[in-house]
Amino acid sequence: MMQLAVVESWIEAPLKHFVSEAGAELALLLHPSGQVLAQHGFARAVDVMSACALAAGIHASAGELGKLVDGKPFRGLHHVGRERQIFLAEAVWPRGAYIFLTVFGPESSLGLVRMYFEEMAAALVAAAPKEAAPATPALAEHFERDLNRNLAVLFGRA
Amino acid sequence: MATPFAAMLDAMTRQRGVTAALVVSERDGIVVDSNLQIGQDGDRVAALAASLYRKARLSARAAGMGAVSFMQLEAPGGRLCAVGGGALVLVVVAEPTVNVGLIRVELLKAIAGLSSAGGDG
Repeated sequence: MMQLAVVESWIEAPLKHFVSEAGAELALLLHPSGQVLAQHGFARAVDVMSACALAAGIHASAGELGKLVDGKPFRGLHHVGRERQIFLAEAVWPRGAYIFLTVFGPESSLGLVRMYFEEMAAALVAAAPKEAAPATPALAEHFERDLNRNLAVLFGRA
Repeated sequence: MATPFAAMLDAMTRQRGVTAALVVSERDGIVVDSNLQIGQDGDRVAALAASLYRKARLSARAAGMGAVSFMQLEAPGGRLCAVGGGALVLVVVAEPTVNVGLIRVELLKAIAGLSSAGGDG
């Protein structure tokens, strides 16, 4: 099974620390447009692509719902299943906001996941390149090309 | 507004040397109620203590030792004591010189209240 893979190397250490300490089964770091930056635990590119699209959609919906009912976007989301739970939250660093999705089982807990997510978000801020965010819109004409390039990097086809 | 755990937490923090007392969900590691001093990170203590207690409980069961009644962690900077009741864990953080016997008695007395307020999990 493909374990941890990142598009940009500075993401690797904070994400690896999160996965190992929080006991996450799956982890995904993505741009709000749905473009993947890093993944842990997924075996197939198509699963990463689907999870990214769904996470971006959930994040956008929760953000709008938050604005509607609370005047500002909701930043975190937690769902409990019979065996597994998901935690989805926004991480902000110099290039802008990103979405983090993780799946964990009974070996971990929401408290641990939240705690190590905060640590990871701080570590990513410290490790991130300091240049400003690219000025291109999230859904640029090259979206599909960039998405495919990132998936190819993650799954060793680049 | 006082929670069902306020009296229990007050009784714990009245003990000499106790610096924090928390009621934590064992499964989620989330604080249900707490008495903390300024600057203490209750969320972090809750997440790690609940995880530790849960693993100790599962280890004891796997080893055929039965249910965990009292857990104590001793470190150079202090002690962490915990008891479980239903789905909840009562966690106490104390100074290294604290009278553990007294803390243990208070924690064991609190189990019934913890179970009745927090359900059987």
